[in-house]
Amino acid sequence: MKNGMKVLLAVVSVGVLSLSGCASTIQYGDAGSAKPVAKEFGSSDLQQIAESMVDSMITFPPLVELTSSRRPVVSVDKVKNKTMQHIDTESITDSIRAKLIRSGKFRFIDRTTDAQTIEELKTQQDSGLVDKKTAVKFGQQIGAEFLLTANFSEIRQKAGSTTDVYYKFSMSLKNLKTGILEWSDEKEIRKVFVRGTFGG
Amino acid sequence: MMKRKKNFAVNGLTAVALILSLGLAGCSTTAGVETTGKMTWDEQGARTLEKNVVFNNSGLKGDIQIVEVKSAMAGDIMRAQATLRSKDRDTLPFQYRFDWYDAGGFEINSGAGSWKPLILYGRETKTIQAVAPDPRAKEFKLKIREPD
Repeated sequence: MKNGMKVLLAVVSVGVLSLSGCASTIQYGDAGSAKPVAKEFGSSDLQQIAESMVDSMITFPPLVELTSSRRPVVSVDKVKNKTMQHIDTESITDSIRAKLIRSGKFRFIDRTTDAQTIEELKTQQDSGLVDKKTAVKFGQQIGAEFLLTANFSEIRQKAGSTTDVYYKFSMSLKNLKTGILEWSDEKEIRKVFVRGTFGG
Repeated sequence: MMKRKKNFAVNGLTAVALILSLGLAGCSTTAGVETTGKMTWDEQGARTLEKNVVFNNSGLKGDIQIVEVKSAMAGDIMRAQATLRSKDRDTLPFQYRFDWYDAGGFEINSGAGSWKPLILYGRETKTIQAVAPDPRAKEFKLKIREPD
């Protein structure tokens, strides 16, 4: 009887030790991890979309030819978010823009910082603090030749315990002078979520 | 009575061991397959690709085969493609990533790449592609691993 109790105690203590491994922990994760955590739009989805769009754009033969001798100026439009989620779509276009700039093939104008630009130029022109010879004048910025536009949509289907989420990100490069779409591509992502019997 | 308790204790021990081993299995990290391709030019100026495949995981070696590795240029930007073949009859999930290096062997945008999911159906052959981040890239490394 006593021996039995001892063994039982040992078992319980081993069990407690193993359980203590499940206590709350915090650690750094891999920012490039492709582990899906939820059926909602996640970091890996963003990275996949951005890389796929940039890879397609800088290898598209007419654009390769166009960018071989010069770096066209592009403006980025807001993404039309047609999904049922609140997504920071600017974060997606920021990633795409950063990758395109780093490729050395395109140059960008940024309309989101125009208010600050005007403020700075006004100060340079009117405050009397800045040497007129070095003060930047109004009306000298370069107009964008292309506009990068995007649509983001989602199709969600549910049957029993399975939820199937399909994302589609479409992007186009529009020639602002001619109105022609010089390049277009889309990236599809499918996520399948199966609710476990005991899962929350 | 005593015998029954002992049996219970032994059963409990087995259960704990089982749970522990299961827990450990869930935590195991997987090394994977590494493939490198280095672009060089011979005296005639012809472009060649030096290839090298390393399997760090014997399990993965039994599941996947790298059939072909090639590269091409899109303007001045290097592209890479690898053809993979599943040796398994079942559908298997993998992750892969391409890292890029310049002519001096320095990684471009070190650590910035992300893993991409890849699904290989039974005995399927599939190609995966990537494009270098900028014209400096002369060498790439493809890593394949089991999902984390």
